[in-house]
Amino acid sequence: MAQPTLDAFQVIADPSRRQMLMLLSKDSLTINSLAENFDMSRPAVSKHIKILYSAGFIAIQDIGRERHCTLKQDGFNALHEWLNYFDQFWASKLKNLENLLNNKLPN
Amino acid sequence: MAARIKHQLFFRHPPSAVWEYLTNAELMELWLMKSDFQPVAGHEFTFRIGPKPSLDFDGIVYCKVLEIVPYEKLSYSWKLGPGDGTINVDSVVRWELQPKDNGTELLLDHGDFVVMKNLALFNGMQTGWLKNMQKIAENLDAKNHGTTNA
Repeated sequence: MAQPTLDAFQVIADPSRRQMLMLLSKDSLTINSLAENFDMSRPAVSKHIKILYSAGFIAIQDIGRERHCTLKQDGFNALHEWLNYFDQFWASKLKNLENLLNNKLPN
Repeated sequence: MAARIKHQLFFRHPPSAVWEYLTNAELMELWLMKSDFQPVAGHEFTFRIGPKPSLDFDGIVYCKVLEIVPYEKLSYSWKLGPGDGTINVDSVVRWELQPKDNGTELLLDHGDFVVMKNLALFNGMQTGWLKNMQKIAENLDAKNHGTTNA
């Protein structure tokens, strides 16, 4: 089933997905035990898990007959992208200011 | 999470001259961008810096002057979102000017990042991550162990 690609912020914008991540931050869980915490259909739970998985927030590992969900690091990288983005933004803007003040204006 | 951006620059001009470029909208436009900034605490203004679809950012930064001490420091909130009225990133930009060697040391500190108001969640997740990797390893060990004993 095709899932829309959501960025990290859209992924955690959903309260159910945030709760899933909270639960997984305490312990790795099978999809079944994760689903027990939610009052929603199993397909709905699967959809959220698929979104978390696609965005890199969780890993899914088959252990025996169970599918285990574990938190994964990649989802957090989006935050670093923001920091990088603004870091570069300020660096280039400050370069402008430097050129303007130090190179063009008389002291 | 150490979410801070810091930059430091020296100018061969007194703080009052540098200050003008930080607080006069016409001069700000020359190096930063167009805005409706006013050097008044509590004043709300926007910066338009161009959309960034890959980060789900519509290009508009919503700011509010938090603190202003002429020729010394200026801070404003820095919030942005995807354009549907929601805010994804909430942060603070701080400028500080220090007189030094007949010039001015300008310090920029962009920090206090709150992402979806859930930074605590992220911190919890980062520590939880390693712990859970261990759990998986233990589960696998237990399984292997069981198989060996069977």
